Amino acid sequence: MALFILRRLGVMVASMLCMTFIVFALTNLPANLEKLAKTQAGTRMTDAQVQSWLARGGYAQPMLRRYGEWLGVVPGHAGDASAGETAGRCARAAMQAGLDRAPRYCGVLQGNWGYSTKFRAPVGQVIAERLARTGVLMFWAFAVMVPLALVIGVLAGMREGSATDRTLSTVSIASTSTPEYVSGVIFVVVFASSMVGLKWFSGSAKSAVDGITFHNFTLPVATIALYGLGYIARMTRASMAEVMTAQYIRTARLKGVGFRAIVLRHALRNALIAPFTIIMLQFPWLLTGVVIVEELFVYPGFGNALVEGAQNNDIELLMAVSVVAVVVVLITQLISDIGYALLNPRIRVT
Amino acid sequence: MTPAKHGHGPSHPAARLYAQEVQNGQMSRREFLGRATALGVSVPAAYGLIGLDSRAEAASHGMTPRMGGTLRIQMDCRALKDPRTYDWAEMASEARGITEYLVEIHRDGTLHPVLLAGWSANADATEYTLNVRPGVKWNNGDDFTAQDVAANITGWCDASVEGNSMATRMAALVQDGQAAPGAVEVLDPLTVKLRLLTPDGTLMFGMGDYPAAIMHRDKIGTSVADHGIGTGAYMFEQFKVGEKVVLVKNPDHTYWGQAYLDRVEFLDYGTDPSAWLAGADADEFDMTYETVSDFIDIFTSLGWVESQVGTSATVIVRTNQEAEIDGTRPYADVRVRRALALAVDNAIPLELGISGRGIESNNNYQVAPGVHPDHAMIAPHRQNIEEARRLMDEAGMLDFEHELISIDDDYRKNTTDAVAAQLRDAGFKVKRTVMPGSTFWNDWTKYPFSSTNWSHRETGIQTLNLAYRSTAAWNETGFRSDAFDALLNAATAIADNTARQATMAKLEQMMVDEGVAIIPYFRALYRHAKEGLLGAEMHPKYEINIHKLGWA
Repeated sequence: MALFILRRLGVMVASMLCMTFIVFALTNLPANLEKLAKTQAGTRMTDAQVQSWLARGGYAQPMLRRYGEWLGVVPGHAGDASAGETAGRCARAAMQAGLDRAPRYCGVLQGNWGYSTKFRAPVGQVIAERLARTGVLMFWAFAVMVPLALVIGVLAGMREGSATDRTLSTVSIASTSTPEYVSGVIFVVVFASSMVGLKWFSGSAKSAVDGITFHNFTLPVATIALYGLGYIARMTRASMAEVMTAQYIRTARLKGVGFRAIVLRHALRNALIAPFTIIMLQFPWLLTGVVIVEELFVYPGFGNALVEGAQNNDIELLMAVSVVAVVVVLITQLISDIGYALLNPRIRVT
Repeated sequence: MTPAKHGHGPSHPAARLYAQEVQNGQMSRREFLGRATALGVSVPAAYGLIGLDSRAEAASHGMTPRMGGTLRIQMDCRALKDPRTYDWAEMASEARGITEYLVEIHRDGTLHPVLLAGWSANADATEYTLNVRPGVKWNNGDDFTAQDVAANITGWCDASVEGNSMATRMAALVQDGQAAPGAVEVLDPLTVKLRLLTPDGTLMFGMGDYPAAIMHRDKIGTSVADHGIGTGAYMFEQFKVGEKVVLVKNPDHTYWGQAYLDRVEFLDYGTDPSAWLAGADADEFDMTYETVSDFIDIFTSLGWVESQVGTSATVIVRTNQEAEIDGTRPYADVRVRRALALAVDNAIPLELGISGRGIESNNNYQVAPGVHPDHAMIAPHRQNIEEARRLMDEAGMLDFEHELISIDDDYRKNTTDAVAAQLRDAGFKVKRTVMPGSTFWNDWTKYPFSSTNWSHRETGIQTLNLAYRSTAAWNETGFRSDAFDALLNAATAIADNTARQATMAKLEQMMVDEGVAIIPYFRALYRHAKEGLLGAEMHPKYEINIHKLGWA
């Protein structure tokens, strides 16, 4: 088991290296660097001004070298100290830490995630804050989605082909085939706008940053939950339906065990193995899926940071975002593998 | 704010000439007030010259707000930087509670002193004397003096700073990319003398523009977000780019003027107006930065107070004469450019692009009738499809597919679509390309055929100098004509309004004949605020001065 986890961690580090290098290469294409210069120093700059801005910021050095700087294995670009410049990442790191002299290395290995050119704040701080907000959103989305989906799935699957099954399946399919940008807009119009006039909830989650209320957080949570709900419910139903046809369920029934006991005590545990994997898979999907919901409801979370970072070619922010994405995907897969083995003794992780 | 006297001694001779023109009906009141105050005549004196009482203007300001309260404003929260390089008016509005300006331009086009007590210009507008407001302190305890003013003006003239747009506004003081020797001189701690290389009657308007924020003399070239030093009554409590900017009254600073609100929050709702509406419906803010398109009526129907101002802001659909497509320069041919312009009825983009919220242009030149004091009437534009087809055919370009690029947003996209539709109706082949805002501006001057929005400027000559001079950094049309430049020089040097109009007429006609761009309309701008908010009226330059805002 320990070896398995260790091997998985190794894969994770390798994926991060590949992933960040690809992101770095893409964000450092000449056109993207020009975009960065223009968003930073003025939309309407001339080409010569762009070049001089890039040179001053250390962006003109070879790409591999700068990737090394970001990683922390190559000494950082310090700027021209005699000219009193503090453009280099090490100088900024020293300033933030209150040091007199800039350290030679100041990359990710040294714990410095860099500086977000869009948000004008250390990347570590931006990511931590944004992840916390998205975490809250995801927690409530899961808290609504998972129990509801399992109940629907089990109810539908325990009597395959019944009226309950047909009704719930229709609901599940409808919900999962409605993308967030459709359901979100419909929710806002129906429940939040003056046009319809119900105004039960708020169509903007901006104020949720200062405190979550039922009023400002219901619609974004409902929008996310609705999409995942149908999918998980369908998977649970399929799994449940299969288990219900198994030999041991028939045996139990012949023994005279009540239907409720069969479902709860015998079928449920086995039926939940497949949905467990599906639920774990929802984590990385949600992390990127919240992009739409956060944009729609003006909730400044991780998805919003990703969009803003990409729009402004915020190199170091995008690097950190990709690291977080790799970690979340691989960690949830690890948990899913281990959890699978625990739920199903026939499977061993080796 | 009290509009103090800012002229000294007798009125500027040119101002008296203008007053005569007003009496003769050759100049509108609005034009007169803008021109006279630019030359250093105080607002009451300017009103006096044309036989009016300045209380007429004061009445439009309405009541004095009560002290205290919180105001929440929907606005993009952009990062601050060296003010000279500000490229969005929002940046200035975020910082205006801290870094103030020498002068300010009111909604009616008049100039008023802020950090200056007054100014005066000599007869041919080549020498300006700036009188610094006494008793103003920086919030770090230093006195605000003529040294600060001189240091800022010198800084504005530094064309070597990337993205410094003030250098263009101060062009009359600039030599070899720096302030000319002797151009900026400190006479005493409260007086600065400016000696211009060429006459420029628009210099003071440049100082009221949003990148002209006054920084501490030791902090030129820095961002106020980094140190917070300014003369204003407020300080940043929170500054989160893309999220919110919060200002509160600075308790350790004695402000020279009057400020009402205790706390101002700028909240970023992104660029989608439907998100703004959701925020308004949820009662999350009290005032919009700018309300656009269909949302204007919707906000009004919510019971919010609408305010409107006519401007010279426009969307131009322009070709770039120097752009190459597959080795040829399709728009170097004047016949092609004229054909495109002739195929368009400018009333259609006005109606479809901005729902008629604005005025149709007189012809395809970037001087706004009724807004710009130096606008000259020339023959109006008439759509002529037959002539357009004939010219295009003559140029051998009837089969050419034009790619018309625009940014992906509401009114600019719709305006461009309307133009494209009319070009297609005339039988030209047009392909529309819509680019997201994040990438559109990377190459905005180089697109062969695209639309660009231009902000309001106080005089027509300012716009022409910025956009159509052959050496201008923002020349996006590739129109470079020595004759046009010579006329521009002549017009800029003319202080007298009537004489300027004659030259402006030539410039305008030249733009039309050369088919430089399709300029269909000039926009009116709208803003909404909740009932009871004072001082929130829309400004031609979107200006928000939190010192002046308050609740009734």
